[in-house]
Amino acid sequence: MDTLFGITGKDFVITAYDSKAVASITLMKIGEDKSRELNSHALMLFSGEPGDGVHFSEYVERNIKLYGIRNGIELSPRAVASFARRELADSLRSRKPYSVNLLIAGFDVKTNKPALYWLDHLASLADVPFAAHGYGAYYCLSLLDRYHREDITEEEGIKLLDKCIKELRSRMILNMPDFVAKIVNKDGIRLVQLGGN
Amino acid sequence: MAGSYDRALTVFSPDGHLFQVDYAVEAVRKGSCVVGVRGSDVVVLGVEKKSVMKLQDERTVKKICMLDDHVCLAFAGLSADARVLVNKARIECQSHRLTVEDAVSIEYITRYIAGVQQKYTQSGGVRPFGISTLIIGFDSDKVPKLYQTDPSGVYSAWKANAIGRSSKTVREFLEKNYKEEMDRAESIKLAIRSLLEVVQTGAKNIEIAIMGTDSVIQRLELAEIEKVVAEIEAENEKEKEKSKPSTSQ
Amino acid sequence: MDTLVSKYANAASAASFDTADNLGENLAGWDAANEFALPAFDIPMVSNPVDFLRAHTDASAENRIRIQHGTTTLSFKFQGGIIVAVDSRASGGSYIASQTVKKVIEINPYLLGTMAGGAADCQYWERELGRRCRLYELRNKERISVAAASKILSNMVYDYKGMGLSMGTMITGWDKTGPQLFYVDSDGTRMRGERFSVGSGSTFAYGVLDTGYDYNLSVPDAIELGRRAIYHATHRDAYSGGSINVFHVKESGWEFIGNYDVGQLHWDYQAQPKGPIS
Repeated sequence: MDTLFGITGKDFVITAYDSKAVASITLMKIGEDKSRELNSHALMLFSGEPGDGVHFSEYVERNIKLYGIRNGIELSPRAVASFARRELADSLRSRKPYSVNLLIAGFDVKTNKPALYWLDHLASLADVPFAAHGYGAYYCLSLLDRYHREDITEEEGIKLLDKCIKELRSRMILNMPDFVAKIVNKDGIRLVQLGGN
Repeated sequence: MAGSYDRALTVFSPDGHLFQVDYAVEAVRKGSCVVGVRGSDVVVLGVEKKSVMKLQDERTVKKICMLDDHVCLAFAGLSADARVLVNKARIECQSHRLTVEDAVSIEYITRYIAGVQQKYTQSGGVRPFGISTLIIGFDSDKVPKLYQTDPSGVYSAWKANAIGRSSKTVREFLEKNYKEEMDRAESIKLAIRSLLEVVQTGAKNIEIAIMGTDSVIQRLELAEIEKVVAEIEAENEKEKEKSKPSTSQ
Repeated sequence: MDTLVSKYANAASAASFDTADNLGENLAGWDAANEFALPAFDIPMVSNPVDFLRAHTDASAENRIRIQHGTTTLSFKFQGGIIVAVDSRASGGSYIASQTVKKVIEINPYLLGTMAGGAADCQYWERELGRRCRLYELRNKERISVAAASKILSNMVYDYKGMGLSMGTMITGWDKTGPQLFYVDSDGTRMRGERFSVGSGSTFAYGVLDTGYDYNLSVPDAIELGRRAIYHATHRDAYSGGSINVFHVKESGWEFIGNYDVGQLHWDYQAQPKGPIS
């Protein structure tokens, strides 16, 4: 099962996903993108039912981009998260609900604050300082409780993420190869190299 | 069905005209002028800006709109109609990306827009869009594209073209002055020069948008347009000087 | 935003052709995006299609329909393009229905699809994909990209997710961006990749394929690797067998390399020395 992480700091959010694509017992691919850039300052990570993650997040992405082009201004991370929540909640009550867990990481350019939203497949939304989805959450939430501060720097954030991944590699029965990490800050979204990889 | 006869406003006249479509073209002729010029690696859109009233916020008057990151549209005619059409086109751009991953090609979105316009000449309870559009952009082949659509739903590709008020004059000017392989500055200058044929008030009533191979749209500031206008005027002055002695021998 | 939402909500039913009579009524819902709308494909008039399917395919069903399932297919990118190799056995439960199934579906001269899972599902949807690719070509005056083709297939089957479709396919071809390989299945998964194997024998094929793989393989070596990987899968997987079809995707389109009977191959390989382990 996929693992997603999100950690906020002073002026950024760092996110990570394992890049494995699995079909029953076979590892089909390493390097699968489990994130979508919704706009210049909002990133969505997804896990869950095969197919649903990509279809739902691309659907949200296209709607958010449409909003940006129509109005000449981008939605705030909070607005993006609310939109995604509502779409998921509506789908939950349809004949064929999307079964996806999401993290929405963003940087609010108006308030100059990072934002991280945790959204599960039952469409419950929470604004959190750090978050995790998947089995990895069982190992790492306590770790994050222990070490996370509100004012960590980007370097500390990367180190903290490395600690989480190291724990997974040593305790999870599943092989945890490559994590892909992305940072969202005032300059936008960028890939980062993790120390452990 | 009882109402079958009056369902469409657009029925042929005995001599083969669709009057509603002709009237829509008339509405376009009344709209402010728009030119498009294709250079070697650049496309330029120029529009004649109506003077806004003293207390009006001019930012709310938009004649050049982005359809997607790489496509830009300018129109002549009824702006309220344009809003509806632009909205449909924007949805199609995103929906195309969602269904086939790639962004729309410039021809595709032109065809879509023309398709919508055509539909409104052949359906009941509607009237045609009172606008013509010029659509510019770059596909993955990095070649500049310029297309035009009409209220009838006809679309075509151009090297340079004009729509709206006095478009015939401007088009003739473009035909006379268009050169192949123009660079960025030359293309901008030709666009402004052709607009000056019909815009008497000069730079402050001209709006210019430029797209390069990076597909990023850039709008010229008033000062920059003024500079080009001054340049053009200086050149015109020189032309006159040159021609004077020959005529007054 | 509701427009985009409702458009997709209605996609499955919006495909009826415009006639002069209903133009007026259709206008509100009309959309040029119908270029990509789904065919009007009837689903059984039952509340739950999955239960319906199960009732007719379960071992306990009175007149059981056995859906063909077992297969080994593989495809990989290398310096010379893409190799596609598949077996040819069709089985329903323990019964071998055919030894001569064409599991590579030739969508058009530049696109290939492979077949694993329900044979009918693969054939129907890939044929439908072929129709759309041709329409795309006629409308846009250029060939469809492999990415776009695979995405159309993925979107189509995703709309029927949870209704019992069974399809695991690789879409390969050569477009403006070069050789492309995508895995698409009936869950709605779609991913770009370098090397895939699909079907009940895929684990066996992976064993040989991963071990012998090198991007710089020559064309004959790559063909041999694909054939060999499928052969070993047919040897170990009871639901794979018959003969092996090999295709090579090149810039000029795909080429059929050959059909090899696995029985014959077995004795050929037996006779060959296995060579040193490097």
